[in-house]
Amino acid sequence: MAASTEQDERAKESAPPRTSGARGRIAGAISVFGELLITAGLVLGLFVAYSLWWTNVLADREAGKQGDDVRQQWESTAPGEIDIKGGLGFLHVPAMKNGEVLVRKGTSTKALNAGVAGYYTDPVKAAMPSDRQGNFSLAAHRDGHGAKFHNIDKLKEGDSIVFETKDTWYVYKVFASLPETSKYNVKVLDPIPRESGRTKPGRYITLTTCTPVFTSKYRYIVWGELERTERVNAKRTPPAELR
Amino acid sequence: MYGWIWRHLPGNTWVRALISIVLVLAVVYVLFQYVFPWAEPLLPFGDVTVDGKNGSNTS
Repeated sequence: MAASTEQDERAKESAPPRTSGARGRIAGAISVFGELLITAGLVLGLFVAYSLWWTNVLADREAGKQGDDVRQQWESTAPGEIDIKGGLGFLHVPAMKNGEVLVRKGTSTKALNAGVAGYYTDPVKAAMPSDRQGNFSLAAHRDGHGAKFHNIDKLKEGDSIVFETKDTWYVYKVFASLPETSKYNVKVLDPIPRESGRTKPGRYITLTTCTPVFTSKYRYIVWGELERTERVNAKRTPPAELR
Repeated sequence: MYGWIWRHLPGNTWVRALISIVLVLAVVYVLFQYVFPWAEPLLPFGDVTVDGKNGSNTS
């Protein structure tokens, strides 16, 4: 009580005299309400910082660790042996300027939040790059959590998508994209993605993420087709596209 | 509200300021560590898969 009268006296010095009673209480309630609004604004601001910055920090750290694990496993296992427990390989897309992206199984929130690209197991199971034909379909975040496919819109026809496994470089060339489609459009993952214009079986790659940036109202799809494969040599010299 | 908290903190201005900073950091920590990770999947900003499901991209 003493504290509040002290406050009142201080207020009298600078501000016009405060009226007591009901009006004072209403003023108090309004100021608490205002402070709550300011707090809500700050919390929302923090949430933006969290989703666009902090989740990237966490995801990049996690993906880096997992990527190192995979490379270590590659070194320690005999040639030909493929252990895909930790991850299948690395995706290099020069046009996206985001370095290498670890590719792991599954597209669950938890898997993708680790800053990796996941290959689909559901609703349409992805083919492996080594399969004779099929669609190697991948998903990754556009923003936050590593934002590995942030620059997917920079991919143009003819750009290369290189997938690195333990023994092979798979070089794909982009031939079609779909800047906006519904999330219900699971046909884009089909072994023969007809919307891309292809009608014959082949070795395709499909990248999916959300669009427009910062939201996930629609999906952005990019299709590529295998151009050639290169065996990985002892020095892991990257193919010409990555040099 | 904040005025009330300030008045109820012990010590002089410097001690109060220090305690305030610690409180703010604690709130930010709780938000980043617990509240935001919980809230994020409930909001439609990070669904990247085509799976025809509503909400988050769990599969």
